[in-house]
Amino acid sequence: MAAPRTQRQKEIRRHLWIYGALTPYVFIAVFPIYWMVITAFKQDPDLYRMDVFPLWFHLPPTTKNFTYLFTNTNYADWVINTMTIAAWVAVITLVTAVPAGYALARLRIPGSENLGIAIFMTYLVPAIILFIPLSRVVAMLGLQDEWWSLVVVYPTFTIPFCTWLLMGFFKTVPMEMEEAARVDGCGYWGALLRIVLPVSLPGILTAVIFAFTLSMQDFLYGLAFVAPGDQKPVTVGVPTELIRGDVFFWGSLMAAALMVGLPVAILYNFFLDRFIQGITGGVGK
Amino acid sequence: MSEGQHSGGPDAVGARAAAVSVVSSTRPSGWFRSQTSRRLAFGYLLLAPAVLYVLLLVGAPFLFSIYLALSDANVGDPVASFVGLENFRAALESDVFYIALRNSILFTVVAAIFKGLLGTTLAFLLLQPFRGKKLIRGLVVIPFTLPITISVLSWKWMYDSQFSVINWFLSRLGLIGSYGSPDWPIWLGEPYLALSACIIVNVWRTFPFSAIVLLAGFTSVPNEILDAARVDGTSFFQRFRYVVVPMIAPILLIGFLFDTVFTLSDLSIVYLLTQGGPANATKILPVLAYQIGIQAGALGRGAAIALFLFPLLLPLMILMLRNLKRRED
Amino acid sequence: MSDPQPVQTDHASVSRRRFLKIAGGGVAGSSLLTMLEARQAPAQIRGTTLRILQWSHFIPAYDAWYDKFAKEWGDKNGVKVRVDHIPHLEIPARMAAEFAAGSGHDIIYNGSSILTRLYYKNLVDLSDVADAAGKKYGGWIPSARTLVEVEGRFYGLPLFYILLPMLYRKDLFDANNLKAPDTWELARVAARTLKPKGHPTGIQLSQCADANLNWRSLFFSFGGQEADASGENILIDSKELREALRFSKALFDEGMTAEVFSWDDASDNRFLASGVGCWIHDAISAYRTTEDTNPPVFKNTVIALEPQGPGGKRVSVAAPNVWMVWKFSKNQQAAKEFLAHLIDNDIEGMNQSRGYNMPYLNDRYQKPMPVIGTDPKMQILQDFPKIVAFYGHPGPSTTPIQEVVNTFVFPDIFTKVARGESIDAAVKWGVGEYRRIYAKHKRP
Repeated sequence: MAAPRTQRQKEIRRHLWIYGALTPYVFIAVFPIYWMVITAFKQDPDLYRMDVFPLWFHLPPTTKNFTYLFTNTNYADWVINTMTIAAWVAVITLVTAVPAGYALARLRIPGSENLGIAIFMTYLVPAIILFIPLSRVVAMLGLQDEWWSLVVVYPTFTIPFCTWLLMGFFKTVPMEMEEAARVDGCGYWGALLRIVLPVSLPGILTAVIFAFTLSMQDFLYGLAFVAPGDQKPVTVGVPTELIRGDVFFWGSLMAAALMVGLPVAILYNFFLDRFIQGITGGVGK
Repeated sequence: MSEGQHSGGPDAVGARAAAVSVVSSTRPSGWFRSQTSRRLAFGYLLLAPAVLYVLLLVGAPFLFSIYLALSDANVGDPVASFVGLENFRAALESDVFYIALRNSILFTVVAAIFKGLLGTTLAFLLLQPFRGKKLIRGLVVIPFTLPITISVLSWKWMYDSQFSVINWFLSRLGLIGSYGSPDWPIWLGEPYLALSACIIVNVWRTFPFSAIVLLAGFTSVPNEILDAARVDGTSFFQRFRYVVVPMIAPILLIGFLFDTVFTLSDLSIVYLLTQGGPANATKILPVLAYQIGIQAGALGRGAAIALFLFPLLLPLMILMLRNLKRRED
Repeated sequence: MSDPQPVQTDHASVSRRRFLKIAGGGVAGSSLLTMLEARQAPAQIRGTTLRILQWSHFIPAYDAWYDKFAKEWGDKNGVKVRVDHIPHLEIPARMAAEFAAGSGHDIIYNGSSILTRLYYKNLVDLSDVADAAGKKYGGWIPSARTLVEVEGRFYGLPLFYILLPMLYRKDLFDANNLKAPDTWELARVAARTLKPKGHPTGIQLSQCADANLNWRSLFFSFGGQEADASGENILIDSKELREALRFSKALFDEGMTAEVFSWDDASDNRFLASGVGCWIHDAISAYRTTEDTNPPVFKNTVIALEPQGPGGKRVSVAAPNVWMVWKFSKNQQAAKEFLAHLIDNDIEGMNQSRGYNMPYLNDRYQKPMPVIGTDPKMQILQDFPKIVAFYGHPGPSTTPIQEVVNTFVFPDIFTKVARGESIDAAVKWGVGEYRRIYAKHKRP
């Protein structure tokens, strides 16, 4: 009949309109990835040519760049290091930021406002200054040139923001729930562990994801503290060992980028819903 | 819907300043006092790990960096003498410093504008219900999840003076001349183009995050309020301006602050793309500080440059955060 | 160093090398060689560890050889050796971190950015190793000392330097009746002729290491000087600089495109390899890249001597590479032994780097030199050592020179002029920057 058809037409038109509007965004976001894929599979002579369509192959694609990564560099080590570092940093961040966030949000500590601001201020101290005294600290701990040094250092930039994030989440937990739990004899610990934490799980997950991705955004600390090839994280290994003297090994660079970037993106995607939910403080639509 | 209470509910949005919520209670004072001390003890205990971490690993080095900025330290010299504000004065006397300051501010402001625009429009689009939303959302977030050095290097290849795929497209589309003509943009070689190129990479990396945060904010506004506003006959934009924005202001502010500070102190993008060139067109304060402090070894002067923005940003930050507090009260 | 060592003359080792090369072939032969040349180190370093930090050589095969070389020496002497590689640009940051930490590697390397003078109070005096090598191999070339000498002592061991010769496309030159670019003027004419035909030239007008090197070569060949022999006085404010700037502006306008403003150290490599460039002034890394990615262009690429300036002078600025030992190293003895061993085999290093690494010791220049002596196209490189110079020429590479180099002041002057600023304004700016930097490094 006429009525349902116009309704569907409207729907389709609306969808087309939205897809159309979204295309530039998706294109901008995704094109560099496509370019990385093509470059990773191209042979070198195919790369340095200007006369042909660059978005497809002219010499047959090759996996040489990928195998180069595994035979000539410590790529596998780098990836494992990066993931392990990120996991540990997430753990440390949780253990410090969750209690701190809760304390600042709920426990009415005197001066908590200023403390909150002070914690955020740490971001104003740039890494190019910090890395020198920190290298002394790292050496004192005996962690120089091991990836553990990064596990110690990265929380300096994940903890402040995650504390703030978690402060927001904890404030959204209804006070009545906590009070009730405390009155019931749980005490402060019980209220925290049994009531608040489970309810703020989305927020906590958000903080975890954030800490995880933040720890892959560093370059300077990794460079300064870790020199041995097999101890480097991927973010340091790729720019330092795939650029030699004045020669960029573009094919392998892109292959390296792909293999670590895509899985992380996919993983992130799984948590994206939680992330969004988390930011809103668990309040659904 | 009452607006006075602060116990969760409608004000539930992300990170915001610590608020001192007033609990109306009618407990006997003696019991309250011991309650208070227990509460405080618990609080300090919980705070201890984070505070200690930050104090030891950021606070102490920060004090050390102030010492450096006030001394004539060199990288290889264990003994440095106090020179007062000499390093800051020297910085103010050099041309390059002003260029770097200007570039830093320009970079941050322009990037913020674009991130705001792109992020907001994308968030609006993602608000609509449509099929495949999850997939699109996942794709759009990719720039943010890639490790920074890796994505910057990909862009470097895309900006290459000879083999730039961007230029290849633009010239095939007839928008620019072919290779060798004066129309062929040398992204990393022309001063304003180079700065734009760096800004583009920064915006590309973070606009998905802005969009997601905004999206989260939008979805957190309860439907009742929106419906009430709709019933009142407001337009979409009016609702947006007068209802939604004030409610999500806290998270907008925090996101904005975080992003601003990160952009101002980020070294990686410019370092890997242009090293501050061409002719200082992209030299921003962190890059200048790194070149002088580390690569040339003049630690004291490098520290002074790096810390320069601190006294400017600090009051700004405090002001904004206090403002946030006031909004909640 | 008072260890007994077999006396070797260069001649004998060369023929032995050649024999083993033919007999043993490639890497296998060279490891036999290193065994032969290794001296027996004293027993007290057995059981210790040695950590070395150096750059990622653009020729991966060199790093592979180097790591193996170090390991073999270590095995022979009972020392556990570990070699780490990071890009040469990042080494200053790493040095600052290690110094602040008071621990790190034992042997550390500097390439291009030589910071020996900055850190010399914390580096081991290597004069004994350096003097022994000098005595054995005919002495150090003059510029070697200026890099690492403080108060008459060697605080670092220069191992090799990297040349930036002229690389040009003989086929394009011949097809257009152009003479080989033996002078800068001829080079300019060639670029002017070939640019309209789609083959411009390019020299970086940006902030990168090659820009620092190339434009100084031009300037010094025009008779200019950066600082005097004492290193204290700046000499760039001269008519030679103005002449060089006038020339560079003409060269840029007539023979280059604006893309050189965005070039980094690798861009001219790609430029040549793509077949577009008619000539470039670059390290032979470009030659090797072209060999690997564009054989037809490679066949027609010729290496030439540094062009003469108008006064007939040729000066080629090279990128130095120096090894140092931290004072906080717990294994200084092994470090010195290893460095002595390394300098004994610098010729092998030259081999393994496909002719890239140029030695600092006079005897090594006996022809034919490895790789460059036997490859007819590369023989001209053997004539470079007579004309080689380093930053700060004719003065030493002092700390203020280092800062000038690291903030790219010198190439910036040329960039400004190419962009249209008046020569006087650009020179005034440049000299002002030099003076400011020099003033800062004067301690009361």
